[in-house]
Parts: sequence; structure tokens; C-alpha cells
Amino acid sequence: MEGVAIIGAGQTRYGDFPTKGVKELFAEAYLEMLQSVDRGLDPQMIQAAYIGCLSAGSGFQLGQLAPLLMGHVGLPHVNAVRVENACASGGFALYNAACAVASGKFDLVLAAGVEKMRDISSSKGRYWLGVSGDTEYERLAGSTFAGIYALMATRYMHEYGLKREHLSMVAVKNHRNAAANPKAQFRKAITLEQAMNGVPVAYPFNIWDCSPTTDGAAVVLLCNARRARDFTSRPVYLRGFGAASDYLAIHDRSSITRLNATRKAAAEAYKQAGIGPRDIDFAEVHDCFTIAEILAYADLGFCEEGRAHYLLEEGITQLDGKLPVNASGGLKAKGHPIGATGCGMAYEIFRQLRGEAAEPVRQIKNARFALSHNVGGSGGTAAVFIYQRGDE
Amino acid sequence: MGAHISIPMYQRAVPQRYRLVGQRCLKCGKVNFPPKAVCKYCNAGFEFEEVTLSGRGTVYSYTIIAGGGAPPEFAEQAHCQGSYPVVVVELEEGPRVIAQLVDPPPAGITIGMPVRAVFRKIYEEEGVIRYGFKFRPA
Ligand SMILES: [Zn+2]
Repeated sequence: MEGVAIIGAGQTRYGDFPTKGVKELFAEAYLEMLQSVDRGLDPQMIQAAYIGCLSAGSGFQLGQLAPLLMGHVGLPHVNAVRVENACASGGFALYNAACAVASGKFDLVLAAGVEKMRDISSSKGRYWLGVSGDTEYERLAGSTFAGIYALMATRYMHEYGLKREHLSMVAVKNHRNAAANPKAQFRKAITLEQAMNGVPVAYPFNIWDCSPTTDGAAVVLLCNARRARDFTSRPVYLRGFGAASDYLAIHDRSSITRLNATRKAAAEAYKQAGIGPRDIDFAEVHDCFTIAEILAYADLGFCEEGRAHYLLEEGITQLDGKLPVNASGGLKAKGHPIGATGCGMAYEIFRQLRGEAAEPVRQIKNARFALSHNVGGSGGTAAVFIYQRGDE
Repeated sequence: MGAHISIPMYQRAVPQRYRLVGQRCLKCGKVNFPPKAVCKYCNAGFEFEEVTLSGRGTVYSYTIIAGGGAPPEFAEQAHCQGSYPVVVVELEEGPRVIAQLVDPPPAGITIGMPVRAVFRKIYEEEGVIRYGFKFRPA
């Protein structure tokens, strides 16, 4: 298997952009990616592209989104395909791109994601978000997507003594981190009291437990590791990548206080990288709802099952803690443009490991290994990546 | 439009929605609901006998969907009731199902609480009332 390096990455700011459509968002992230390739690159050398997007299925461009986007940036003949696994579409685009380079078939492959959510009216949006869960049974019980994660949270509270305020601690931490991130949707810190008393959404969640609807795009360029230094002085290596699935509906799973897709994907990624959870210096994890970050701690091996809330109490996952989680602000506050999210995590890690976190206050120092974790829906799919700083 | 169940698709699941018809795996003996082509417990058995579930079970987890966040099919219900509970029920035959809870106890829903299935109107769409099961405290 060939080694895989990231040689460039770009991301739009996440947020609400009424004047930009998917093509404009994609192009903005793509052009920033090209500029980050510091020794230069002829874009015509790019051989393949995997592009994550969910909403293409909901109306504006039913099929063949990938050639539409590639034609917009002057690469009309690249082997391009859209990848869809709900909120993990971007992660699976990155996974497929990594496999394509690792196979030796291609040396330069684009992994990207884009989503335009703010054009959809809220009544249509609720139909649309249901797409990520099980429609026949979960949806027809009157449950929302938030409701499914809420069912996991209630059970977790029952089994492990998690308190309402632990959920809010995730929101407070991630909003504080986003406040310093110029690419984040919500650059605003919130207090624990605010986070505990938001408008109810689905017990035990209020609005502060939920990620927002977001427009945005992210693009990363993967390269065969042997050629990476032809293009950049500071590549970031993708040392491990894993992906897995689970029963789509939560009623079909043996446990709802863990995501087996995450566990299997993480095991694959750690094994390939030859390192374990203790070697990770910081992580970007999938916090579509506050409970999702709490589940991720044990699923990724950062703590034992049922002990995640102690990491929050001890401040271990804060920006200045031993293992910062979601330094970007996470899905919660950086924003969650569904198909882009998995690649946006790679963008954040690429910048952090190169010492380019934009605002000095949020730069994580002396990090060697990082991890990203992207989940589809309520855990029907998951992808996990392990990155290593390239200057050694 | 996004997620939506057409009338023919709804009708194909009438045995499950009206009568809780599940399937017992002839290889491992466990009961699947809703039905699968291959048993979800042993991932091997593909021959089944039909079983009608009793509808008795206990609350495994719960949430309360707030009015503003309800899916569009349930917007009217949410508007009338303000909010409504959704539960995961562990049925006595083994499988878990997700459904609404009617007549929740005034003191609040608790995990482990016994419930039984009842036949109810679920929602109305395209001029057709969709019936199915909900649960109520036993
Ligand atoms: Zn079986």
C-alpha cells in the first residue's frame, strides 16, 4: 500500500451565504486549497475527485453533481463522483480518496464536500433532514433527528449518571473555541446558564445542544506520500483511515449508548497507523448533538465506556487541556454543512499541524498526531482518520 | 421534498403497523421486528416463521419532541398538544421498537416502565389517515 499525504486544504467560512450557491462555495474552498500548496501545482495533474454532498438529492441537481462542480473550476475531464452517506458524506469522500491514492492507481486525488442548507425553508428542511435516519419506523413515530440522539442521551443518563449540565459543558466548550476561529459560523461564547436554559427541542435537548444549518465547502488534496515534498515543504500524513456501518435504525442496535460504526472505524484507523488513543494530541469529533461528542470519547478510546463526562468535568478536552477536542468549535459552533463536514475537519487538522491555525490563541502547540471522526446520521456510518505532522 | 412515505409503501407494512407481525428466525430462534431478509441477531438465518407480538414491553428510553421541531406530518399534532413523547420500547419477545407514548403518567416517564401497544391514528397525509401502533402505560 502506498503512503498518503495531504498537500493542500481549503475551506469557506461556514455560515449563511445567500449570495453563494454550491458552485461558488466549492470554488472558494478549491482556490484556497490550491494556494496552500506552497511549492505550486498544475491543477491539470489532479486525476480524480470524490465530493461529499447530501442535498443534491433533494432537488437542485438530482444527479451528476461532481462534474458540475469540477467543470466550474476548470477540471472538466477529471474522474469525479459524488459520495453520499448523510453527515458522513465528506468523511467517506476523504476515505475513498485515501484508498484511491493508497492503491497506487492515482497520485493526486481531490476529496471535497459541499452543502447549501440555508436555501431550504424550515418546513422543507424538516422533511429533508429526516433523510439521514430510518424513515419507515423512526420517522413515522414522529421522531426528529434530534429526537433520535435525545433517545440515546436519555438512556446514557440512565446507565451512567450523566447530568443535563454535562451536555451543556460540550456546548460551552465548543462555542468558546469557535469564538476564536475565523472560519466558524458562530463566533460567540455562551455561558453554562445560557446553554442549560435554551428553547426545548427534544428532551433532554434544548437548542444549544444542536448543531445549526450551515452553508459551506471544504476541499483537501491528497498525494502519494513519496511525491508530497515535490509540492509542499510541510505535508501532513494520513497514517490511518477506517470506515464502517451499522444498522440504520437505532431500534435494531444492541446498544444505543455507543456507536459501533465509530468503534470499528477507529480500530481500523489505529491499526493502520500503528498507534493508539493515548498517542493522539488533539481531535475533531462529530458533535452534531452534544451527546454525540460524549459518545465519541469512549468510542474512540479516549476513556472507558460511561466515563466520558469525567473528561469534561476535568477539562481534559478543553483547548488548554491534555487532549483538546473540537478546537475548531466543532459541528456545534463552527457549523455543520453536512457534506462538507468530514473534509472541514481535515482542513482544521491540516492547518493546526502546520502551525497555521490563524489566530495564535487557538494554535495547538507541539502536536504530532491528530484524529478526525465523522458520523452519518445517528451512527449508520462513521469514518475515522489519523494524521501525523510531516516535518519529521 | 425529502423523507416521506408514499401510500403504497405504507400499505406494504400494514401487517407490522396494524398487528405487530414479526418473524422468528429458524436458525437462532430470536424474533425480528420489523422483518429482515436475514436475521439481525445471527446474521445468517434467512428462513422464518411468522409471529404476532404481544405488544407488551418496557420503556428502554424516551424523549419529548417539542412542538416547533416536529416533522411536518406531525406538525398538527404538535400544534394541538404542544409536545409529545416518543419512546423506545423493549418488547417482551426481545426486539425494540420506536413509537409514541399516549397518556404519559403525570409524574413523568421512567425507564423500565411497563407499557402495552395500542392501535391509533398516527398522522394524515395526502388526504389519507395513516393508522399504526403507539404505546400506553400498562
Ligand atoms: Zn437468527
